[in-house]
Amino acid sequence: MKVLYSSLVEKIKTKPKIDGFCDDLTMLGIEVDDIQSFKGDKVINFDLTPNRGDCFSVKGLIRDYCALKNITFSLKKTHNFKSTKVFAKKIKLSAKEACSAYSAISISNLSPKKTNNFPKKIKNSLKAAGIQSIHPLVDIVNFIMLETGQPMHVFDEDKIKGDLEVRLAKKNETLQILGDNDLELKDDCLVIADSKEPIAFAGISGGNYHSVKKSSKNFLIESAYFDPSAIKGKARRYGFQTDASQRFERGVDYNLHEKALAEAVNLIEEIYNGDFSKIETKKNSFFPKQKIIKISSEDINKKLGTSLKENLIISILKRLEISLLEKNNSLLSFKIPSHRFDLSIKEDLVEEVARIIGYDQLPESKSLTVNQNYEVSEYQFTDSIKLFMKNKGFNEVINYSFLDPKILENLSISKNSISLKNPLNKTIGTLRTSLLPSLVSNLEYNLKRGENFLKIFEIGKSFSLDNPQETLNFSGLLFDDEKFKNWNTNQKFDFFYLKGILEDFFSEYRVDKVSWKKTKNNLLHPYASADIFAGKNFIGSIGSINPIFLKNLDIKKPFYYFEIFLSAISSNHLTRLKASSVYPSSQRDFSFEVDNSITFEEIQNCVKHSSKAFLQDMKIFDLYEGANIKKGKKSIAFRLSWGSNKKTLSDAEINKEADLIVSDMKKKLNAVLR
Amino acid sequence: MDLDALKKSLEQDFLTISSKEELTALKVKYLGKKGQITKLSKAIKELPSKEKPAYGKAIGELRNLFEINFEKFQDNLEIKSIQNLLEKEKLDVSLPGSFQTQGKLHPLTNTTKRITDFFSAQGYLIEDGPEIESDYYNFDALNIPADHPARDMHDTFYLENGSLLRTHTSPVQIRSIEKRGAPLKIICPGKVYRSDADKTHTPMFHQIEGLVISENVNFGHLKSEIMTFINFFFGAETKVRFRPSYFPFTEPSAEVDIMDKSSRDWLEIMGCGLVHPNVIEMSGLDSKEFSGFAFGMGVERMAKLFYEIEDMRSLFSNDIKFLSQ
Repeated sequence: MKVLYSSLVEKIKTKPKIDGFCDDLTMLGIEVDDIQSFKGDKVINFDLTPNRGDCFSVKGLIRDYCALKNITFSLKKTHNFKSTKVFAKKIKLSAKEACSAYSAISISNLSPKKTNNFPKKIKNSLKAAGIQSIHPLVDIVNFIMLETGQPMHVFDEDKIKGDLEVRLAKKNETLQILGDNDLELKDDCLVIADSKEPIAFAGISGGNYHSVKKSSKNFLIESAYFDPSAIKGKARRYGFQTDASQRFERGVDYNLHEKALAEAVNLIEEIYNGDFSKIETKKNSFFPKQKIIKISSEDINKKLGTSLKENLIISILKRLEISLLEKNNSLLSFKIPSHRFDLSIKEDLVEEVARIIGYDQLPESKSLTVNQNYEVSEYQFTDSIKLFMKNKGFNEVINYSFLDPKILENLSISKNSISLKNPLNKTIGTLRTSLLPSLVSNLEYNLKRGENFLKIFEIGKSFSLDNPQETLNFSGLLFDDEKFKNWNTNQKFDFFYLKGILEDFFSEYRVDKVSWKKTKNNLLHPYASADIFAGKNFIGSIGSINPIFLKNLDIKKPFYYFEIFLSAISSNHLTRLKASSVYPSSQRDFSFEVDNSITFEEIQNCVKHSSKAFLQDMKIFDLYEGANIKKGKKSIAFRLSWGSNKKTLSDAEINKEADLIVSDMKKKLNAVLR
Repeated sequence: MDLDALKKSLEQDFLTISSKEELTALKVKYLGKKGQITKLSKAIKELPSKEKPAYGKAIGELRNLFEINFEKFQDNLEIKSIQNLLEKEKLDVSLPGSFQTQGKLHPLTNTTKRITDFFSAQGYLIEDGPEIESDYYNFDALNIPADHPARDMHDTFYLENGSLLRTHTSPVQIRSIEKRGAPLKIICPGKVYRSDADKTHTPMFHQIEGLVISENVNFGHLKSEIMTFINFFFGAETKVRFRPSYFPFTEPSAEVDIMDKSSRDWLEIMGCGLVHPNVIEMSGLDSKEFSGFAFGMGVERMAKLFYEIEDMRSLFSNDIKFLSQ
């Protein structure tokens, strides 16, 4: 809310400097966003919290400031005016709880007392506050709203047919407001209606047809008390807010509507000659009763960690117009002023006392012990994976969870994707179903900036309409355009490099029974990718993208990628450290020629099956096709280790194992020892 | 030849040789079958028995002298040959090492870690919750009923099915109390979403929220916890102020500002307060028995201050040159 500095400080005797004034208000919880110059004056822009409806006016702001400073402020007093006509309409309060008090006045035959005497102050205040000047009477009631906090509305009385009724909207009723849009009112919308139709969206906006125009001759000004619950959220439902709705939904002083209307009439009288009716007021039994909050000084001290004396508490609250009603032993009953809608429980009064004392003056207390059991969280698990990947030379990226649905469609992974109902724009309208598109966009971005080598990873959620809706994924991408060159290494950054990292990951986190199978993922290259299983659980995929999809991307060169579903794996902890054998183990190297179609897995299974006794380890160290090897064949060389923790194995024992392997390899896989 | 002359000639010989072959020749010369020491030791038989012990001892010493010199010369030869070899193994140590670069963690991860490590060491459990939330956990249970003006403070992304993307990490508070009861001390880092985008706002960002529920928790406990944290994160000389604010889930509520060392401006860094009794009740605890405090901060903002980042959006560009700093 924007307010002129001069209209604030004119209400107090000693004018504070603007900086100190704004600091004081900020420290009261009334945050000053910025200060701007305005025609030799200053406009202060306040960032009001939604609880402080009472500060939505010059009066409210200065009232809080004076409470802090323990000084007084003076407001213009209203005076009686001469009534020269009757208020002819009846007011009916049908929605009794939503509107329990309604005042109105009828005005006609207005003529300016002097030419060009419309007060500059009103124009300036409105302009500073960003309120458009519409019609002198509207400007006046808006000015009074800025001053007091009471929104009012001016009707063209001639347009109102019959009497006034405050009621809920009926089915299929509409109202044209602001622009040319007809609002389709719902039956929880409070309206002001004449005998024919709604003429205003109560507490929010008047209807176009019944609002005052340049040509209007007879006027009816409304000033009412609307219950916040009847106004809350209604304007927002239709996608707008007004100065009135913002105030009413936070709560406007329920003792203000008549006073504010009188103030407006006094101001009109200063400028115009005219005929005024009396102020007609209708009230019912639902009119709010003064709230009482009971609290003891101990309650307050316990919450603040202070030892404030009861007298001090009472005097602090008194400055805020929260006065002591009665005292019953240590229990104090306080009367809550009609402008403070935010005060309803003890804690609210605790905050009031703290506000005036100043949060910075409150003591710090150290002695709080909380006994709870300690647990390692999933967060710490993912954190350690991040460190693992950092050590493997991968840079961490963090991407938005939403992206352009087109990207998902291009990759054929838009199935079951979740769309946002109200995206900021379409390019971030759908939640990602995989981390792949995010990493691919990072690759594209960095390629455009001249990078030709990329090792990145991300741990984040992917989303789908399936159950569960969100899963925590761990994904990495490897791209090496230049066939990475270093004078001292021949490291290839390929599928097996990435697989090696995952193997090390599974070993580090003791994920059991990991197997790598031909992928069923259509997105991946069918012959150069794998689906990964832990036991029977599908836990992720690794490989390169099917070249068919590369066409849809900006990247023309292959890259390698993996995605692991962290919630699908269970990592284990080492619970027992075994002593290593004191007997040495023995190694033998083998080299076989086999059919090209035989997989390493088949060979490994054959070896493990043949040599069940003492076999400890199998390491492949060479794989070769080409010269000296028949076409359609490959040479595979591996080293086996045997050992026992009971004895040193004899040559005879190892020879026996080796013979078994050679004969089984021949029999089962038609492999020839080279 | 007498013994003394032999000793002299032996010592002289060891000084003149330089190769392994000459060393072997010396061994033959002195200790071979016809060697000079061997010869003299044979002569012992012809001496009168009275002189035998002294002569024997002198011969023994002569043998020892030879052995010592022999081993010493052999060791020297070995050291020389190693030294010759070393030269052949000479490296150009100015060449760069093999490619071993470590990756880097994202600045937001580092910032989060710095914060959660601090609170973890103070005994806080680290908790997380779903990013797709219900109206209930994101708003109602936090004392923000439908139509509450505070919902204006949260520009919410809704999904077609009526769920929403959480606008803050506060729903984790409720879920944790429901799961663990009290007393409770948790820190909840995570992603949150608001339909807001400009230089200082990104539609997805990260928050860290802390919650302590116990008996007789007061505002002083909150202040001291926050002060300890700020002293750790921004340094002990940091100027801090607490000022009243409003959050529906805390009462009293406060905003915490620190003073920027160069501009002398106050910078808002976190919101906090004593947990509102309605929130305690709604999560299933008795607000007469339990009280608590909560605080929350934006990780991007903390990272921005810590790393002096100018544009918040650079945190999500994932530019490798930016990230690998």
